[in-house]
Amino acid sequence: MSTDTQNDGDSGRLVMRPLNRLETVSEQVYAYVLLIPAAVLLGFIAFYPLLNTLWFSLLGDDVFSPDPFGEFNGFGNYADLLAGEAQLPQQFLDVGLSGSFPFVEMGTPFLQQALFVTLAFAIISVLFETLIGFGQAYVIDQDFRGRRWVRVAIIIPYALPIVIQAMIFYLMFNPTIGWATDLMQAIGVFGDNPLASSRDSFFIVLVADIWKTSAFMALLILAGLQSVDRSLYDVAKVSGASPWQQFKYITFPIVLPALLVAMLFRTMDAMRIYGLVDATAGCEQVPSMTCLVITALQGSRRWATASAVAFLTAIVIGLLVIVYLIGLRGSEGGVA
Amino acid sequence: MSADDEHPDLAAMEQAQEPDLDRGPVEAWAAKMISNPDRAYRAMFYTATVFFLVTTLFPFYWLFMVAITPGRELSEVGALTPGGFDPTSFITIFTRLPFHRYVFNSFLIATVATVIVLFVASLAGYVFGRLRFRGRNPLLLLVLVTSFFPPAAFFVPLNRLFNTQVAVLEPIMSEGTLYNTPYAIFIPVSAIFLPLSIFILMTFYSQIPDGLEDAARIEGTTRIGALFRVIVPLSAPGVATAGVLTFITVYNEYFFSSLMTDGRPENWAPMLEGILAFQGQYEVDFHLMAAASIVAVLPVAILVIVAQEKIVSGLTAGAVKE
Repeated sequence: MSTDTQNDGDSGRLVMRPLNRLETVSEQVYAYVLLIPAAVLLGFIAFYPLLNTLWFSLLGDDVFSPDPFGEFNGFGNYADLLAGEAQLPQQFLDVGLSGSFPFVEMGTPFLQQALFVTLAFAIISVLFETLIGFGQAYVIDQDFRGRRWVRVAIIIPYALPIVIQAMIFYLMFNPTIGWATDLMQAIGVFGDNPLASSRDSFFIVLVADIWKTSAFMALLILAGLQSVDRSLYDVAKVSGASPWQQFKYITFPIVLPALLVAMLFRTMDAMRIYGLVDATAGCEQVPSMTCLVITALQGSRRWATASAVAFLTAIVIGLLVIVYLIGLRGSEGGVA
Repeated sequence: MSADDEHPDLAAMEQAQEPDLDRGPVEAWAAKMISNPDRAYRAMFYTATVFFLVTTLFPFYWLFMVAITPGRELSEVGALTPGGFDPTSFITIFTRLPFHRYVFNSFLIATVATVIVLFVASLAGYVFGRLRFRGRNPLLLLVLVTSFFPPAAFFVPLNRLFNTQVAVLEPIMSEGTLYNTPYAIFIPVSAIFLPLSIFILMTFYSQIPDGLEDAARIEGTTRIGALFRVIVPLSAPGVATAGVLTFITVYNEYFFSSLMTDGRPENWAPMLEGILAFQGQYEVDFHLMAAASIVAVLPVAILVIVAQEKIVSGLTAGAVKE
């Protein structure tokens, strides 16, 4: 190597010298050097802001000053948020205990509490996406003519920009041009203007999300299905197993770890829902946790409260991840 | 079945394997399915396929129906039929607003982010996949942890940071802030989608036999050279998967894209602002929004059609090893 550099000019030497140095360092140091770009990017965009958010969330709000942070407030913002006393148009969590059945009282309607809206959304959407995604993955895993195009058709919603997905459902449920409102009214489920009602909007956001992200689930589950050894099916066929038994005793157990990983990713994603809500019904109707951050930030300049909501969101997601990891450890071959 | 009805005994004798009497067409079909379950599964399979195809493709079809409806007749759009025929919407979107500029902005942001992510994730994926060093597992866990924090948890400080005037930037950037520049979007999204690519590339790089890298080193390549001349080319499917997934996710990203610019195309507002911009103050041009959506979806749709095998095989290789 050194002979190469001597032939190069001065500019070449400047580049080559650190590279030559790399040749001689130990594997340990080499590893750390190669990690520098990732560390810089993640440190600057993820770790540093995260600590900053934590610090901001411990300050008070100062809505009228140019710098919107007041003095140190301890866990005051968190206490307000969890007690339903935050000065926001929607609450993060607002339940009280009561003497009579069902012993809990909603201070704010269920669908105006960010934690419940987001949890309900995540649980229902992931459940349906898993079922539909499994069906779709099963279909595109089969061999048949035109499989390539069926596969493209089924995974294309996954590649759809969120704003366009939102636009499709916004237009469908728009009272002037959409047909879906009439349909839902005819069944008696929806009111006059579904995009202006919390309950109906929640449903619309849910359907839109299931429509798009089932495809993502299908992709990840398909990856699991394709790792199943085909000869197992031949053995099963010879032993006279029905397709249902093949599914129950071969496919499902092998796919389960991949399925749980896919569900983990989806749950994390669903818990941060923002764009779909913002571009269809708006954050007033379906106040997801991320929505609440933006409302606090832009609507009322309560930056400290916004930081506290953001951090609480991260904590809730973290707890869910831990639940999944415990589940994954139970099933063999998980990432944990 | 009428012949069977008249002579039940004869029919029963003829069809020894189906001794039941008096069947309607549905029951007969059910009996056939029971005696031949493969047919039943086949029928179920085709029903499911058609159902999935209709549910995934219908919204696109309807969006197209809205797009070709003239603005005055939007209330006439049915579930299956357009309200009229006027394909000029697809031209109007470029004349009323510079929609091509919005799409170009998105395209550029996604491309730059993809290049950054692939480069940084290649280095990190190589380290985690092939090198043995102290602190590997804690560092890997740290990378994984960042991927579960919501973008909102990073947003407040970043928003503040990008709105701060930095004297050094003043000659290059208007106002000396990063707000309203493409940097404000692609730097955060690159960081946020980095962990996924690190994991994909890590699995691919770790599968390359050590001998190939050693051979390259003996031939005289540098350590870095061995990575970019041997490991990366041999992992081409993995790199392609990571690249395609990153491009799609960045192009589709909403959170930072909608918050880091003021929405004007000359200030690097991405495609989503363009679509929402047709939602004017006094009238909403639904047909233009629909047309713009169709145009904006084409790049990723083409990418999926071209790269679908890669996406699936890339994820498969990743899932097996995880």
